[in-house]
Amino acid sequence: LETAMKEQQARTKVAVRHLPPSLSEAVFQDQIAGKYAGAYTWWSYHPGKNSHKRQVYSRAYINFKKPEDVIDFYEDFNGHVFVNERGAQYKALVEYAPYQRVPKPRSKKDVR
Amino acid sequence: PERSARVSKVRPPLHQYIRKLLFADLDKTTIERVLRQLRKLPWSECETYLLKCFMKVYKGKYSQVHLIASLTAGLSRYHDAFAVSVVDEVLEAIRVGLELNEYGMQQRRIAYMRFLGELYSYRLIDSPVIFDTLYLIIFFGHGTSEQDVLDPPEDCFRLRMVITLLETCGQFFDRGSSKRRLDRFLLYFQRYVLSKGVIPLDVEFDLQDLFADLRPKMVRYATYDEANQALLELEEVDRNLAASEKDRSSRPLNPSTQGDGEAHVNNPGSEYVKDAQNIGAAPLGTRASGIHGAGLADDADSESETE
Repeated sequence: LETAMKEQQARTKVAVRHLPPSLSEAVFQDQIAGKYAGAYTWWSYHPGKNSHKRQVYSRAYINFKKPEDVIDFYEDFNGHVFVNERGAQYKALVEYAPYQRVPKPRSKKDVR
Repeated sequence: PERSARVSKVRPPLHQYIRKLLFADLDKTTIERVLRQLRKLPWSECETYLLKCFMKVYKGKYSQVHLIASLTAGLSRYHDAFAVSVVDEVLEAIRVGLELNEYGMQQRRIAYMRFLGELYSYRLIDSPVIFDTLYLIIFFGHGTSEQDVLDPPEDCFRLRMVITLLETCGQFFDRGSSKRRLDRFLLYFQRYVLSKGVIPLDVEFDLQDLFADLRPKMVRYATYDEANQALLELEEVDRNLAASEKDRSSRPLNPSTQGDGEAHVNNPGSEYVKDAQNIGAAPLGTRASGIHGAGLADDADSESETE
């Protein structure tokens, strides 16, 4: 419980949702690099998919060093409009990630 | 009219092998071997594909879901990032399901509820994640203009989602703070159930079974107003507790203001909903004080503001 409490107090993992399906990790990273380059410890990008059946948004998870950075980041990027190559607009959502755990810095090397 | 023959998808051998392991070989007698084989894969090339396959849990037998959860746990020791991605992905899938509410996705949405419950059983997630999800399910989209699309009164699908998740892992919430959290959630859930119109018989039976299994002595309210009244009283008690808690913690030299388990338990469901929905509606600054009940005045129904 105590660890859960600590997480409640200082949540640092953020989910950025509803990004353009075709947005590449590199381009997204470029967008946020300027201000937040050294501010996060971990980062995971899940590219979306454009298919005729259903489009899947791209999504990023970012773990910030400091809870205060989350607030800055939220103010900068929540509702930020990303435009894809065809001019379609996507309004990004910034939220606390529902699952706050980030991978341990170095998992055991699997000797297999 | 002429039609070209359907071209079957050609998958690289590595992908074929992964699919064979997960979709053909995997059962409770082979799981150890499958896990060893997965560990031997060239992870840098196939991690993304493996994640994709793990998210196809809905394609296998329903009874196999726990095997995939078990594999996730087994792999987390060496590939922690993979396990984290699986959980992130499942929670996202559940959220997207709520956002779209598509009929054709129902089967997989049920499978994801089961998967999440099994991930809890295998200790990859802790109980707050489960409760956040439960509150998200009963509140998402409420109070917005989209409510009639996302969760119309005659739509009982969210009931099935909650039932499935609690069938899978509800029995673990039988002591301590998680017991109290489940008691509280079931009250909100009862009110939610009563906000629905006629409930199909099979869902009604599943509900009866669920309450009989988890909380046989719990009062089942007959009307929405009764359940609502009970919740209002509970929230009132919370507010008083929170106020006295604040008194206590504002006194100097009180050592119990940090890491006090009780304070956390006093959070109403609304706290979870807020967490799960967005961080914008609630001012971020109050988050830290939230554990002492600063957020308690919020009514659960007001938590559905969406961006």
